[in-house]
Amino acid sequence: MTELTSILILDDEPIVSKRLKPSLEKKGYEVESFTRSADALQRIQERRFNIVITDLKMEGVDGMHFLTEVKEKFPETEVIVITGFATMATAKESFTKGVFDFLAKPFKLGEIAEVIAKAERKIKES
Amino acid sequence: MRNFLQQVGQLFSKKEQISVPFKVLFADFKKSLELNNQILDIIADANNKLSGDYIFDEQYIHTTCSQLTGLVRELIVIINHLTSQKYPELFTSFHHLEEDLEAILNGRILCPVPEFILPYSLVNRDIIDAVGGKNAHIAEMGSQLNLQIPVGFAITTAAFTSFWKENNLEEIVTKTCNDWQQGTLAIEAASATIQQVILQATLPKKLEQDIVNTALQITGKRKDEKACFAVRSSALGEDDVSSFAGQYRSCLGITIEELPNAYKKVVASLYSEEAMEYRLNKDFRPEEIMMAVACQLMIPAKASGVLYTYDPLQPEAETMIISSAWGLGEPIVSGEVPTDHFILQRQSPHKEIEMKIVRKDSSMILQGCGSIDTETVREDMRTEPSLKTQQLQELAGKGLLLEKYFKTPQDVEFAIDQNDQVVFLQSRQLHLQHEKPPRACDLTGLGGKYQILMRGNGAAAMEGIASGPVWILEQDSDLKEFPMGAILVARHASPQLARVIHKAAGFITDIGSTTGHLATVAREFRVPALFNVENATSILTTGQEITMDIECLTIYDGIVKELHYYNLNEESVEDMYEYRLLRRVLKKIEPLNLFDPNGENFTPQGCKTYHDLTRFIHQKAVETIIDISFYHAHQRSTQAGQLLWEFPLDLILIDVGGGIEGVHEKGIQAEQISSVPMQELLKGMSWPGMWDMSPAGVDFSSFMASLTRTAPTRNSTPEDVGRNLAVVSAEYTNINFRLGYHFTVIDAYISDNLLDNHIYFRFSGGVTETTRRSRRIRLLGDILSHYDFFIELHGDIIVARLKRMDKKSMLRRLFLLGLLVAFTRQLDVKMINDSKIHEYFEHIKTIMEESNND
Repeated sequence: MTELTSILILDDEPIVSKRLKPSLEKKGYEVESFTRSADALQRIQERRFNIVITDLKMEGVDGMHFLTEVKEKFPETEVIVITGFATMATAKESFTKGVFDFLAKPFKLGEIAEVIAKAERKIKES
Repeated sequence: MRNFLQQVGQLFSKKEQISVPFKVLFADFKKSLELNNQILDIIADANNKLSGDYIFDEQYIHTTCSQLTGLVRELIVIINHLTSQKYPELFTSFHHLEEDLEAILNGRILCPVPEFILPYSLVNRDIIDAVGGKNAHIAEMGSQLNLQIPVGFAITTAAFTSFWKENNLEEIVTKTCNDWQQGTLAIEAASATIQQVILQATLPKKLEQDIVNTALQITGKRKDEKACFAVRSSALGEDDVSSFAGQYRSCLGITIEELPNAYKKVVASLYSEEAMEYRLNKDFRPEEIMMAVACQLMIPAKASGVLYTYDPLQPEAETMIISSAWGLGEPIVSGEVPTDHFILQRQSPHKEIEMKIVRKDSSMILQGCGSIDTETVREDMRTEPSLKTQQLQELAGKGLLLEKYFKTPQDVEFAIDQNDQVVFLQSRQLHLQHEKPPRACDLTGLGGKYQILMRGNGAAAMEGIASGPVWILEQDSDLKEFPMGAILVARHASPQLARVIHKAAGFITDIGSTTGHLATVAREFRVPALFNVENATSILTTGQEITMDIECLTIYDGIVKELHYYNLNEESVEDMYEYRLLRRVLKKIEPLNLFDPNGENFTPQGCKTYHDLTRFIHQKAVETIIDISFYHAHQRSTQAGQLLWEFPLDLILIDVGGGIEGVHEKGIQAEQISSVPMQELLKGMSWPGMWDMSPAGVDFSSFMASLTRTAPTRNSTPEDVGRNLAVVSAEYTNINFRLGYHFTVIDAYISDNLLDNHIYFRFSGGVTETTRRSRRIRLLGDILSHYDFFIELHGDIIVARLKRMDKKSMLRRLFLLGLLVAFTRQLDVKMINDSKIHEYFEHIKTIMEESNND
């Protein structure tokens, strides 16, 4: 049996994980979700994820800091940024950090699934 | 478009014009149209978010509301500017709405009705925030499913709020709860303190009177006569999204005069220890803690029991479980007495698989009024089954009906009355407790196991999984025959289909917009709906069993049990605060109450939602601009005049740049019109042969005369004269037709640059009964979507939009609108049956083809 693609979701709005997790699990991914960046940071010390999905602007935490950590530790992990405060500046900044793609909230389940599938293809090709 | 606005701008800068030039006012009007469109688009988008297809957070809801509030405010400023401050009351209605929205966004629940009491005949799920889940469900079981239910009424959350306010309860409750949550007060003490305060509080006088009077009314009794009630909780969120089973108090055997006191007892149980703990563990906000109460005339039950439509521990067994015993249901529900146990197959004819009859020594019996006693069961009945085979069969059948109606497995309480009839006491979602819930990833290989009929086609109007037999809507099908629990498959997502919303397990259509009326209704009732799959009606056949998984845009042949069980275990979107919040704010934004411009409520005060305000202002803006342009002198820079046509169409043309070449003394000849969009519209309106199919069978001139109601004369008062206005430029046309009772708006800009091109079409009104009007709307919807328009339906208003097509295609479609405007004038009168829709549709298509070869 081939290993499932693993995904970590970090968003301080619980509804994001609540909706995204079952939907991605249904598509055959292995998913862990977090609402606090401290917990997510700790988790990435313990294991590697193929794909990380994170919000940028969260109360009390900086998604940018989190994704920087992820990319430093696991350069091959693809990071997808989701945020409600979509501005070109933040988008550009996250791209310079090696972010795979950028989605503005609200987004469709189908849209993020497409981005994830693309990231997955890239991982498999490399 | 840019040219046109530049022209307006240039005219505005001409300093010699001291009075406000028409073109400036028209710029205001244009702005109001733009805002109108923007607002309607945002509302439609927001509703679309309820489909479950989107992930959104609270921030989105806040942003959307403040955006809409800003736009509506701007619109009110503009209409007052346009009308010299004629509608200041709009601000009052607006501020009320703004305040309500603010309160809702802060988590408060506003009771959607002002009444303290509502008899079950007036209760439904639409006002669930007023009556709570239990009341809403039981009332609909009576009114929609014709099941036997107890006579009763709901005490609303408006009553609760009034009780709370009058006794200043919020302060003490909040403080005590805070102390408990901060650990300075034990739960026992917190619960006792709050309950005591509630029990000692005084009911508002009006509430007490309303309760007693309604009880007297529905029982037909006098005050001194005895009647016996059950008073139960119907708290918000109690039955619909979360199961608070058994946590709130019920009072039984209550006389009419004891009702007010029993109400307080039930309300106090909102703060029982169990309920407080339970809420803490769920996603509940303090502002959501409100209780409506159910008052039901008691059934002197021979036997009572509970039905589960699935075995919650092993749903795959496809069985139903019924437990029952003699007498009233209370000791049965609370597990105080041993019960008979029946297991039946879910599938009809519901074969009995297991029957365990226990010895039933005692039962709870209603003895006249106010006294409930535990009695010893008669010797010969102790080991008799408490339900007869026929009753078991009926329960199983009705259980499935309830399950199809409420779209989830059901936990049903029932009683058997003295005539051996089954009476339903409540029905709520049954939560399945899987030891090993199906793992989502097990579902990935379904394609190999089941035949996939369709994948990747269509758009989700409402997420979900549905299975059942297909029922295809044919030309001559009668929606009345639509079977409960079937999946409706139709060519178009016509608003008519909403009629079967209570029966349908799902909707699939070949064509249809996820922002249309049917999509909205599907979301309101949480019926999975997949639109725009193109060929569903040709691939599927009536009676074929299918399963649709909308999130994956997949339709399987047969019943896919894996998906079905997965779905039974999935948390509903309704369990999430954000969905509930969006639904609540939309109630203040989206519904349209102002349909008829001549209606009594068509006033600033009558505006109950942002949509109403927008509609009202749109109407007044159009009326105003017509008044100003036609009944008042215009500036010399504006060419204007009446259209001199072979047909007596009362149309005033105003040129804002290159739309008219010279004005004749008496008016404007059709040949003098150089506005390309206007030319095309007139061509459509005067197309020969259209009038042979005119409804009244009259010749063209008399038909056109009937369009305008009265002969146009400048000397008549504005009310007497037709009000048809066209503002034109070389590339632009804005038309406002009031033809009879219809009102049509067309706004079109058509140039060589396709990015700028747009057509907006809005059609409303009609004098016949709703069915015929709705046939006409269907016809228009069918034709317009056939010719690529993006359709929105709001009641009997249809809005069609088209953007960014090349000049030739845009002009073809304006020609089509010309045909439709002239043709649909009295069409609703003629729309005697559904087959007419097809007939007229074909006719219009033929004309379009013929004229194309022309």
